[in-house]
Amino acid sequence: MTNVRPRRRAVLGGMLGALALTGCGALGGKPRVREWNLFGGGDGARLLQIHQQYVAEHPDVRFSATTLAWGPPFYTKLAMSATGGRAPEVATMHMSRLKGFSPTTMLDPIPVDLLTAAGVHESDFLPATWNRCVIDGKLYAVPLDQHPFVLYYNLEICKKAGLLGPDNKIKTVKGVTAFLDMLRAVKETTGKYAVSVDTTSPWRLWYTLYGQLQGEFFSPDGKELVIDDAKALEALDLIAKLASEGLTPRSANYAALVAQFTNGEAGMSFNGEWEVTTYQTAKLPFSMAPFPVVYDVPKFQGDSHTFVLPHQAHRNADDTKATIEYIAWMLKHSVGWAAGGHIPAYQPVVKSTEYLNLKPQAEYRSVAPNVLYDPDAWFSGSGSQLENESAAAFSGIATGQATAKGALAQFKAAIQKLLDTPSPV
Amino acid sequence: MAVQTPPRALSTTRPAAPKPGAGRPWMERWGGLFFVAPFLLLFAVFLVWPTINGFWNSFFNTSLAGVKQEFLGLQNWREMFGDPAVWSSLKNTLVFTAMSTPPLVIVALVMALLANRKGLLGWLLRFSYFAPFVLPATVVTLIWVWIYQPGFGLVNGLLTSGGFAEIDWLNTENRAMLAVVITTVWWTVGFNFLLYLAALQGIPAQVYEAAAIDGANGRQQLFRITLPLLSRTTGLIVVLQLVASLKIFDQIYLMTNGGPNYATRPIIQYIYQSGFTSYRIGYASAISYLFFAIIVIVSVAQFKLFSGRRDAA
Amino acid sequence: MTTITMPTRSAPSGPVEPRWTYPKVASVVGAVILAVLWLVPLLWALDTSLKPEPETTRAPITWLPQAPTVEAYRSVIEQGDLIRWFLNSTVVSVLVTGLTLVVSVLAAYGFSRTHFPGRRVLFGLMIAGILVPPQVLIVPLFQEMTGLGLVDTYWGIVLPQVVAPVMVFVLKKFFDGISRDYEDAARVDGAPRWRIVWSVMVPMSRPILVAVGIFTFIGAWNNFLWPFIVTTDPSMMTIPVGLANVQGSYGLRYAQIMASAVLGGLPLLIVYALFQRHVVRGVGDAGIKG
Repeated sequence: MTNVRPRRRAVLGGMLGALALTGCGALGGKPRVREWNLFGGGDGARLLQIHQQYVAEHPDVRFSATTLAWGPPFYTKLAMSATGGRAPEVATMHMSRLKGFSPTTMLDPIPVDLLTAAGVHESDFLPATWNRCVIDGKLYAVPLDQHPFVLYYNLEICKKAGLLGPDNKIKTVKGVTAFLDMLRAVKETTGKYAVSVDTTSPWRLWYTLYGQLQGEFFSPDGKELVIDDAKALEALDLIAKLASEGLTPRSANYAALVAQFTNGEAGMSFNGEWEVTTYQTAKLPFSMAPFPVVYDVPKFQGDSHTFVLPHQAHRNADDTKATIEYIAWMLKHSVGWAAGGHIPAYQPVVKSTEYLNLKPQAEYRSVAPNVLYDPDAWFSGSGSQLENESAAAFSGIATGQATAKGALAQFKAAIQKLLDTPSPV
Repeated sequence: MAVQTPPRALSTTRPAAPKPGAGRPWMERWGGLFFVAPFLLLFAVFLVWPTINGFWNSFFNTSLAGVKQEFLGLQNWREMFGDPAVWSSLKNTLVFTAMSTPPLVIVALVMALLANRKGLLGWLLRFSYFAPFVLPATVVTLIWVWIYQPGFGLVNGLLTSGGFAEIDWLNTENRAMLAVVITTVWWTVGFNFLLYLAALQGIPAQVYEAAAIDGANGRQQLFRITLPLLSRTTGLIVVLQLVASLKIFDQIYLMTNGGPNYATRPIIQYIYQSGFTSYRIGYASAISYLFFAIIVIVSVAQFKLFSGRRDAA
Repeated sequence: MTTITMPTRSAPSGPVEPRWTYPKVASVVGAVILAVLWLVPLLWALDTSLKPEPETTRAPITWLPQAPTVEAYRSVIEQGDLIRWFLNSTVVSVLVTGLTLVVSVLAAYGFSRTHFPGRRVLFGLMIAGILVPPQVLIVPLFQEMTGLGLVDTYWGIVLPQVVAPVMVFVLKKFFDGISRDYEDAARVDGAPRWRIVWSVMVPMSRPILVAVGIFTFIGAWNNFLWPFIVTTDPSMMTIPVGLANVQGSYGLRYAQIMASAVLGGLPLLIVYALFQRHVVRGVGDAGIKG
């Protein structure tokens, strides 16, 4: 935007603003906290409960939370609201999206002094997590959690299939053969599928497998695409094999993934860990475990949720203080959040016995250091263009409409095109 | 344009009423502008200005994030002509138009012929055919996504209970567009139906009476009288429908989000994604102008064709 | 882009066919089948919304709810946003319809009945404006609204929708067809021009104004793209935008989704059922499409 034009427009805007019908100004003395999030799954139901507690404990804050459709719709709306100047006080954001969101213009920095005053310190987080939130020397996000790609399994089905150990936990498998044998045993028991997956967006599964093969994505300077074709194809071929053997459905969206695991058509599910509440509500006998190490190293695709302050044209000091206190309160109460599946980022909670006693939520906390974040680029991250391109290219793998080679070529061409596009941030 | 009597002539016949304009030639000369002014102001601010501004932006790398703005010359335009996503989304728009226009005209005509009757039955028919048109796009797509849902949706439920294999309509490349077209026909055919119905009701009863006296049966009346008399209406409906179909966005964005594998993404969605999701305002502006040019070409061509045919008739 | 079919309606007519013949019976049967096909999606939505959640994802599907419940409606209304969006949609649609009619009638009168320098040029420019698809303007218009501070305001949603050159064109043509005698009589009585518009032109063009008004209202109520672009604050969204963007339920709740679809579609369905006669006749009078 140029420097000249907005001013001229602002005059007209002022004239029209005088006629404005909205009641957007601060009413009364109570600080206002409006929160936007993208939790449409079981974690959203959990968040609702936590917010109810927050509201009950804070009658002096006018609080409202809104859940927007996950992924591109959420991030597009958030960016447009920051541009429009009337953004909410606080929003959730994937850590992998932070740099590409143009934090210096679209977000307001977090006032660290207020955070400290609210009792949250840098030392409460793992250094790697905290450092990812600092850009140009300023803190732009406060980490809430970490969420790896995991394995859900139906206890009854897996017991019948002979896959449970004496402790009633799934026996750890290693390597492709053992992995396939396990799935075949499940399929025999259900008579339908072994695992429910979302074939329309295979990114998480593919990137987990590719990461386990130690495949690289971008060169260290981020300027070149260095995908290892052999490894990438090996991962894609495995996904195709799962579908062609009928271990996974050939075509299933996210709704079907949840439904098939719920109604027992699949004895396992590969997904992020955020549907715990959904399956608990459905009274499903299930547990969770780290995703199997199918290849060489333990790597699990994942991301972190953070709190950010979207840019507001006129940020109110009282609202900001209440907002930071809200963030601190949420961190300190993140055991409730962990119950929804996510691994808390706030270390005092991670070490608490309350968290350690959560079952099955604490079963996979060991993977935290091995969480594989999306590649680093302005067009990458959860719900980003990079993930969209992978969905477009790879969704034909399971259905059999695309070959692994063709899909990979399409994906690489799309990413190369994005790399060649000058960054708008 | 109709020949108009200058209002000045009136004032001379009205010596007793000096107020409104007789003594104020300025008012007589410019007074009309006041009637047009509110419209012109809004027209200038919300149509002309953004049209110019969008064109201007297409030569810059303007970013939604507001980080920078540099002059690029024709770079956005060059990138656009070499961008396969532009052409594939344009192709999807044209495919949608080609697939949706014929059924939207033919089904509307059939409906109008069937529903042109009085009484309660006529009322019920008109209600059922037009009702979907008054629903918002979101409501329509929520219902149809649910109908197409694999596993427990209505269509697949019927398919599987009939012993057929189920189809994941919205996630299969060569089915998704068809699914969107079916939804669109259901949703918007009502408007064309009403246009046809109005035209049918405008045909005087005497025409049919005369034909009946001449011994024409129902089929002859349909093909020799009704359809020829509707040809002008058909021309109008085709024109309106083509332009409306080219502007496709809502249903596709809400049903498939342009997928699977961009097989349904229309050009307007690519504009939206470039400008707002990828922050590239400048580039999105260039694509907007490509789309604008297409709409203008189609409209003008049709106008020529349509007005030519009318002159011939 | 627009043609007007003047109100030359004679007695309702149809092919003369006195007896119940085979083709006649077939046409009734065909008409009813088509009507049922067109109603099924609506009924299926209603049906689903009355089921308890677990029943909605059961395979094979159940036709009628085995244990009908309005639980889904209760949840949807309790979440509260829908009522707010309903109010927003009402405010926006009423403002758009009212302002469009006033602004367009005045402009059409100006173009039809008055002379001022530049009138022809401006009229030509307006006709050219008909060719500009609103979809092309979303990007620059959003930027403009950002500069004006009108993002997330009613005016931001309403004002661009008020610019309807097609409407001015249609009304101008209609006014051109009204005899000047009525105006002249009023002018002799000394009535100022704006009163003539109100007391002569408007009553004479009532049917077409009703038709134009009804379709402007439906169009504004259902407009998705522009409100979708210009509102980011959920409390400012209209029904179509809110339903598409904001999730009121967590996990998959098909009964709730269908309940909100039913509630979102109901207001205009009721309005349409009540005013069907006007809608159908309106199209006949004005054959227009926005």
